[in-house]
Amino acid sequence: MNTTPELPVPISYIAGNYFVFSVDAATFLRREHNICGVLTGTLPQVPQQNVFTGLPLELMPEEARLLVEKGVACIVDEVNFQKQGMRSLVEEDRKKYLQELESQGLETMQLQMRRKERQRDASLKKIEEKKAAAKAKKAEAKEDTTADAPTVAEDSVVSLFADSGEPSSHISSRRPSTLGSIEPMGITPPVSHPPLPQQPPAKHLLPLPEVQSSYPLFAHLHSKGYFLCPGLRFGCQYLAYPGDPLRFHSHFLVVSTEWDEQLDLMTVISGGRLGTGVKKGFLIGGANKNVEESDGAGSNVRTFSIEWAGM
Amino acid sequence: MADLDEAAINNPSSDAGQIEVDLSDETQDFRMLNSLSFLADTNDLSLPKRGEKDFEPNPTLFQADILSASRQAMHSALSYPRLHNPKNKVIGVYAPNGPAPPPDPKLDLISEDAPTERPAPTTSIGVSLTTCVYVANPKGGLFKTIGQADRWNRIWLLPEEALYLLERGSLDIRWPRGAVGDGGEHNIEDSGIPMSLQAAYASFIGHSGLTMEKFSVYTGLRRLGYAVFRAPGWSQSDNDTDGTACSTEPSEEGQLAMRQGPGLAGIFKRFLQWLQDSPSTTAAMGPLIGFGFHRGYNHLFRKLALIPYYDPVTASPSRAELPYTVALHIYKPSTHIRKSALPDPDFRIAVVNARTDTDMPTLSQIGSLLESTPLEPPASNKPLYVRLKNGYRNVILAVVDQGVVSYLRIADAAFGKEKIFDAQAPLRGNKLRGPPRNKFKKR
Amino acid sequence: MTKHLPLPPVPNPSSLTTFVSSESDPVTTTCATTSQVIHNLQYQHLWTSLKVHHLNLSFPVSLISGIPPHRVYTHPDEQLYMVEHGLREEDVELDRMFVLPTVQGQSWSLEKMAGVFDALPSPGDEDAESEAQSADDAATDGTTADKAAKLAKYYEYRVKARQTGEWGCKRLLLAMIDKGMGGEGTVVYYVAQEGTVKPRQN
Repeated sequence: MNTTPELPVPISYIAGNYFVFSVDAATFLRREHNICGVLTGTLPQVPQQNVFTGLPLELMPEEARLLVEKGVACIVDEVNFQKQGMRSLVEEDRKKYLQELESQGLETMQLQMRRKERQRDASLKKIEEKKAAAKAKKAEAKEDTTADAPTVAEDSVVSLFADSGEPSSHISSRRPSTLGSIEPMGITPPVSHPPLPQQPPAKHLLPLPEVQSSYPLFAHLHSKGYFLCPGLRFGCQYLAYPGDPLRFHSHFLVVSTEWDEQLDLMTVISGGRLGTGVKKGFLIGGANKNVEESDGAGSNVRTFSIEWAGM
Repeated sequence: MADLDEAAINNPSSDAGQIEVDLSDETQDFRMLNSLSFLADTNDLSLPKRGEKDFEPNPTLFQADILSASRQAMHSALSYPRLHNPKNKVIGVYAPNGPAPPPDPKLDLISEDAPTERPAPTTSIGVSLTTCVYVANPKGGLFKTIGQADRWNRIWLLPEEALYLLERGSLDIRWPRGAVGDGGEHNIEDSGIPMSLQAAYASFIGHSGLTMEKFSVYTGLRRLGYAVFRAPGWSQSDNDTDGTACSTEPSEEGQLAMRQGPGLAGIFKRFLQWLQDSPSTTAAMGPLIGFGFHRGYNHLFRKLALIPYYDPVTASPSRAELPYTVALHIYKPSTHIRKSALPDPDFRIAVVNARTDTDMPTLSQIGSLLESTPLEPPASNKPLYVRLKNGYRNVILAVVDQGVVSYLRIADAAFGKEKIFDAQAPLRGNKLRGPPRNKFKKR
Repeated sequence: MTKHLPLPPVPNPSSLTTFVSSESDPVTTTCATTSQVIHNLQYQHLWTSLKVHHLNLSFPVSLISGIPPHRVYTHPDEQLYMVEHGLREEDVELDRMFVLPTVQGQSWSLEKMAGVFDALPSPGDEDAESEAQSADDAATDGTTADKAAKLAKYYEYRVKARQTGEWGCKRLLLAMIDKGMGGEGTVVYYVAQEGTVKPRQN
């Protein structure tokens, strides 16, 4: 899992949004660069819920820009890259790619069939064992055997999931037809490489993403080790987490303001109140225009933390 | 009912009351997904418990191990492949230039005189011109609420529908031969090359007014089991070159509201009201309640009601403007729908991009938005507070901040129409009060 | 039937009004706000040794400082330190706190906020002078030698913690009053601190 993808990581620019499609890139950015983004896609294994979401990873323009400035990522005009890249495939590329997919599909199919068989054998075996055990003391109660059976089956499913980080699909609940001609499994790949190249040609690269005036504050907090997420749900611009949001509660509701922007003190008060109500601080900040920014990490940014005083 | 409806949009599962916290509010520990995925197998999907989080990082190995396990779980959850078993796979083909009849006359089951030469892709074949993927072998329950059939029994999908189906692993979308350098530009036969998730986003987001914000709302609600359709206000911009047929018509709902208006019954009621009130309100300077025959307090109170109030029933419909237009129609999972004749939606949603529209909508924007929705007065037998909350018209704002969606329900409450003095029984105090206030805890 | 009642006498000015007009001459908005907050601190929150500091900034602003009857703010890490060392908040010498009086609707900006914070003495300076005195107090208080030792250690650590910012940097209380429609006397207080100071959890 701790793989480092080829750098720079391509960030797809599509209709005004920034996306990462590769799982390795997404986890790498999170692990090494404290960039979380928002997972906006549907997880194919559990498609009917919103608690856990999957790829793509949507990045804020601030996140995309920060990564480009750090030299970790580049912005790709994905729409044209796809269109032109696919159109310029030649017969040989197509054939090679389709063969690759077919062999992967066959492998997956075989893997799944084997797993299903193992699973079935295991649960049958367990049921047999239980039955035998129950028979031994059938003097006590006969109904137990039937009541136990489903639990056993479920247990085996759990253990199957526990040991696998690999594909373990339950797309088809039917038993695999007896071994014979195996058809390959169809695959929708997450990314377009292959058949397209990993790094797009220079003509499809885009300049630095445009960002709001809150960017210096964003970069400043990020440089201090905070993980930042979009904050509208909590009534602010960003949520600042002291560590990976997977594990930690956020510390601050962040609102950016410009140095000499007219600021209604009521914003400060209501922000402080809002934050205190959810055990978070309200953080207001922005860049001092009169001071030259020196390190690219918002060194000219001033921040203030506000909390209810309790009096 | 308003309370129930709102609960439903947060959590449409039958046991809505059980979960008080919206788990999707914050990043969840992916280790919890393990329990989730095996439950999904038995169609008994219940949400996992909220993962325990810490206040701040500490240098313990224990914490580092948990974090690493969480990330590992996330990585493997995100690596889960989208597989299509050959026995039941559904294949779609991308048609970048919009719907077109099948190229092969053999496919044409209805008319023998199918054109041998491929006509221009704009030819109407009975489906929306904004569709861009066709499915020749539609199988599965999802197509009950997704797609439009042409006369060759193919289902045509709008970009959001195609992308959603691909994303959930239910559809294998292929590049057309024309797009992979294998035939003419308008060749939309299956090239056999599957479209990746990445390619699908690049092809579908931005197609026919589908913004990422709209897609986030669409897919989020679909995942929860709602049926979601484009509403007439999906895109109103003039540069909508795809020319959604319905987008240029005035909102049908607006027309409906106009027709409904106060209605005959309303006019009659007003006439009665006028008869009752007018004789005593003649004196502009005189006492509000002059001498006369007073049959009860209600009569007196009515005369004291001097301040004019806004009546949503008589409001005139006006044209809402983007982004404050109803872009999506939502049906609860329990609502029976036929794609060909959609009933009135259960909810109407306007989609707002929080990054570009940073201010609260103005009163006039909200007003026009509400007036574009049909009149849905609250049931008169409901308690006062429920009626006020339900309002006479309502709409849901989906505010999207970089993929994170917040839903706000806005209703046109008519305080002036609720005559407190007309209440039959003495009001119980708690009916009038709002929801319990959160006490600000003293530290 | 209607007899003219004598007009009710004009009520005496409230203690707040009297206070405000006696404190400042002439009465400017800034002064009136400051006086009202002082009044509230003194009589509602029982602060002592109240002082007004006029800041020489590009806009009219003054600060109040005083000693609260009990601790208003403890940094979470400081609290943890105290718990670990068996100290309670009452054991520790009370600090002089700064209060920034503001009024709703006042023109404000990040720049002004930064200006006020820049005018605050840095936390390290204060401690250096008060340390010796605090240690003396602790000894003469009749507390056990053990506690005195703990306190001394605490004060020593605090000087360091404040200089490094471990227990937070500069802080003040933001006091805001609402004078809209004549105001109703409420003053709200928020702790404002320089930099990213993690929130308290209790």
